Amino acid sequence: MLSKCLQPLLLRLSPDFRAGAKEGFRLCLPVSVGIVPWALVTGLAMVGAGFTPVQAMGMSLIVFGATAQLGTLPLIATGAPLWLIVATALVVNLRFVIFSAALARPLSGGTLAERWLCGYVLTDGVFATCLERLRNAPDPRWRIGFYLAPSLWCGLMWQSATLVGVLAAGSIPRNWSLEFMASIALIVLLVPMAKLRPMLVAAATGGTLAVVLRGMPLRLGVMAAIVGGIAAGFAAEHWQARRAAQ
Amino acid sequence: MTYDWTLWLTFILIGGLATTLPRASFIVLGERASLPDAVLKALRYAPAAALAAIVVPDVVLVNGAVDALNPKLGGAIAAVLATRVSRNPWLPFVAGMAALWLLR
Repeated sequence: MLSKCLQPLLLRLSPDFRAGAKEGFRLCLPVSVGIVPWALVTGLAMVGAGFTPVQAMGMSLIVFGATAQLGTLPLIATGAPLWLIVATALVVNLRFVIFSAALARPLSGGTLAERWLCGYVLTDGVFATCLERLRNAPDPRWRIGFYLAPSLWCGLMWQSATLVGVLAAGSIPRNWSLEFMASIALIVLLVPMAKLRPMLVAAATGGTLAVVLRGMPLRLGVMAAIVGGIAAGFAAEHWQARRAAQ
Repeated sequence: MTYDWTLWLTFILIGGLATTLPRASFIVLGERASLPDAVLKALRYAPAAALAAIVVPDVVLVNGAVDALNPKLGGAIAAVLATRVSRNPWLPFVAGMAALWLLR
């Protein structure tokens, strides 16, 4: 699928596109290095959850999203119902809807195939690093190159390092509890988010409710906890704004 | 634990429906579509709420009951502390796994 998307793209590499690609690549090189530990850990955690190397790389290529992969692993490993697994992945990925909305205008000069590809390779790191320049650059082809080149490069780094993790995991004994790496990875994502007070409220509420409501049938408690956490964060923000206004 | 073919269905649904679709949504739709501000604001809290709802039961429950002294909670606390004191990306993993093994 990826190569089919890439073919028309490679034929249309204008000088503007290439100039943008070079600049984006240079800017995002540090980000792509930061991906490596994550990908290794995700590879280890997938094998820790009982996946074969083929299954693990299949998930990595099809999903290509650390949060969705790591977040659903504990659910998949405990045999949670499919709808809950998919709904959980959707919820952790809702941030991408916001990113996608921010990128809609800068990437509007791409073909339909290019824009689908831009969607598939969207990652937090490249988005955060490139958004400001993307907003201000006047040339549409330059913008597509500036966004796509580092995104594809990060994708390549991600898949390679994941493969290393998957292959290395095979030689690590099972009683090392590698699956716990997934929990640590989620904590590493969560801690910087919780620096904002309403975000901390959302996380604390979500976490507490998930424990309290664990007895609900079909693991509905997880969904109820997420909805409760979002509501609590929203309410905390509202309350904070009101206090600031007074 | 071994998995059957439904695992691949799970991957396709997580990858297509739950990951690529939100990522591609507005990029593909273009500027024709937009979301109300209140929805965008509420969506900001979804990742934090969801991550906590997954990870907290994972580290405080042992066989379905709350256990405040279990090794996983120790590992989680070590990982949180590591993210606070250092920007080294490996440290939380080293500290968390070390605490888990030591407390077991």
